[in-house]
Amino acid sequence: MNRSYYWLVLALSVPAFLWLVPTIWMVSLSFQPNEVLARTTSTTALGLVPVPFTADNYAALFAFGQTPLWFLNSIIVAVGMTLGVLAVSTTAGYALAWLDFPGKPAITLICLVGLMVPEQAVFIPLYTMFADFGWHNSYHALILPRMAVPIGVFLMMQFFKAIPKDIEEAARIDGVGWLQIFWFVMLPLARPAMMTLAILTFLYAWNDYLWPLVSAQQKEYFTITLGLASIQSNFAQSEGLGRVMASGVIASLPVVILFLIFQRYVVQAMTVGGTKG
Amino acid sequence: MAKSVRRLSQAQAAWLLLAPFLFTYGLFLVYPFFRGIWISLHDWNLLAVAFNPDAKEFVGLRNYQRVMWGRGIEWSAIQRPVFQALGVLGVGLAVYLRRTNRASRTNAIALAVGAVLLFVLPGFHAGEGGRWFDRRFWPTVGNTLVFVGLTVPGVAGTALVLAAALNRETRAMSILRTLFFLSQVLSVTVVTLIWQIMFSPRQGLIANVIELFGGSPIVWLTDERFAMAAIVITTIWWSLGIAMILFLAGLQDISKDIYEAAALDNARGVKAFWYVTLPNLKRTITLVVVLQIILHFQVFGQSHLMTNGGPNDTTQVLVRYIYQTAFRDSDLGRASAMAVFLFVIMGSFSVIQFLIGREES
Repeated sequence: MNRSYYWLVLALSVPAFLWLVPTIWMVSLSFQPNEVLARTTSTTALGLVPVPFTADNYAALFAFGQTPLWFLNSIIVAVGMTLGVLAVSTTAGYALAWLDFPGKPAITLICLVGLMVPEQAVFIPLYTMFADFGWHNSYHALILPRMAVPIGVFLMMQFFKAIPKDIEEAARIDGVGWLQIFWFVMLPLARPAMMTLAILTFLYAWNDYLWPLVSAQQKEYFTITLGLASIQSNFAQSEGLGRVMASGVIASLPVVILFLIFQRYVVQAMTVGGTKG
Repeated sequence: MAKSVRRLSQAQAAWLLLAPFLFTYGLFLVYPFFRGIWISLHDWNLLAVAFNPDAKEFVGLRNYQRVMWGRGIEWSAIQRPVFQALGVLGVGLAVYLRRTNRASRTNAIALAVGAVLLFVLPGFHAGEGGRWFDRRFWPTVGNTLVFVGLTVPGVAGTALVLAAALNRETRAMSILRTLFFLSQVLSVTVVTLIWQIMFSPRQGLIANVIELFGGSPIVWLTDERFAMAAIVITTIWWSLGIAMILFLAGLQDISKDIYEAAALDNARGVKAFWYVTLPNLKRTITLVVVLQIILHFQVFGQSHLMTNGGPNDTTQVLVRYIYQTAFRDSDLGRASAMAVFLFVIMGSFSVIQFLIGREES
């Protein structure tokens, strides 16, 4: 590596740090006492260093308020949605990629067209439907609509199509049925693609705002993303800045940890999600 | 394998495996889509219909008329001279690029269609004594377009430069990429929480820095001149990651030999970026721009949470207007008509995206 490379790294570190500043600031504010923040947010190094330091905001979050419940709701909804999407997408993706049946091109096309329909175009009719069923303010109301989005099916279909035919032929010679091939041969091979789809779905579930906003009106069914929105509008008066920021940190922790551990999959998932859905 | 189990035929297995998805797809996407169109053809009050299912009235296309049209609407070629002139220029540019073979057919057609719309749409205005039935709809669409028009070049430009600079497989570069990508995984409510306070004139970091240098703080979110800018800055910070990753993927496909050949011609650094990277990245750039347009046309949370669409409707965007019409004004018919309008626009961009994707393969 030559000198110009080190200069480049140095020159890029400045914007990278600036890019991180808002996030650092949120974390730092969450560790400062509310009384201090009410006076000024720039005690030490413009507030980027949490001095004076306190963990009271986090203690208060878990002692009262609904943040722990909302967090739990988010976990339930995100895990439920992830499992649901994986189940319907792997099965349908395999069928479209490997099996022959009458009407297959038509079914594939019908599914493809669904990629064009944005959530915002169907959230009103979905709302009236779920209201007719009496389903609002429930976990399944938050989970089910996403299971209908065909992005996962296409992700899995493309993955299964890339598997060489001879693997399946070998299984056929052994006289194994289609469902067994799917379960014992295909699914183990599909783990990386399932991982990508799982992360894409989990991130979407965790961060979704519009549908939970219209569907969950009772605070007991808020996700953390929605709950955070409900307390941030009056952050200064009621809760104290430090505590709202602590909620923000808690709300971000799962996705940030997920990102840092599974960075490769997250990047892949968001690329797929960005390019196709 | 149990011999007693009757083996399924291929078609039976296929339908069995497809059934769960097709069921949810039909029930929660296909049906709601058509039901949305159905609702848009009715005078449909949310509360009244919830109380009495028959309290809706079929009105045909009247909701569309009430949203998009007015009394005494006229058209003139010089209503908004700047936009309309740009539209004419755009058509010319599309023809020129196609004639000289500098743009693919898809791109040229897309550009031409956009330019024609830019010429035609701003020409409509309420004539003397006339008025729009809904004064807020088109300004809201305009705000959304302004938001998209500022955000997309901002994201794409920044991401492109960063991707070109970060395109090396070293440990330091990979850490830097992680730092730039991190904000992308945060939820819209966390992002707006952070930036609402960043922009606060009393507590905000930006105000603190400005005061450090003796300036007076800007009231970002309630000043008509700055509110949209604040939302755009927030969005660029939030959604740089995907664009950067897509550009990095595109850069990987450019062969190293081209750069070496260019280096022999003394094209390095900025020059190499301009003469080698940009031309070879044309497709990725188009793809990223189209994706970003689709993504940001759906903007909702930033406007809803940071500015409440204000001040004075300057940051009111289409999805927020749909949301309010449906759930604050309970006018599902009109809201659904706007949602269909949104779908038509986003659908056309999806078609463009699909065509680009097909050209690629």
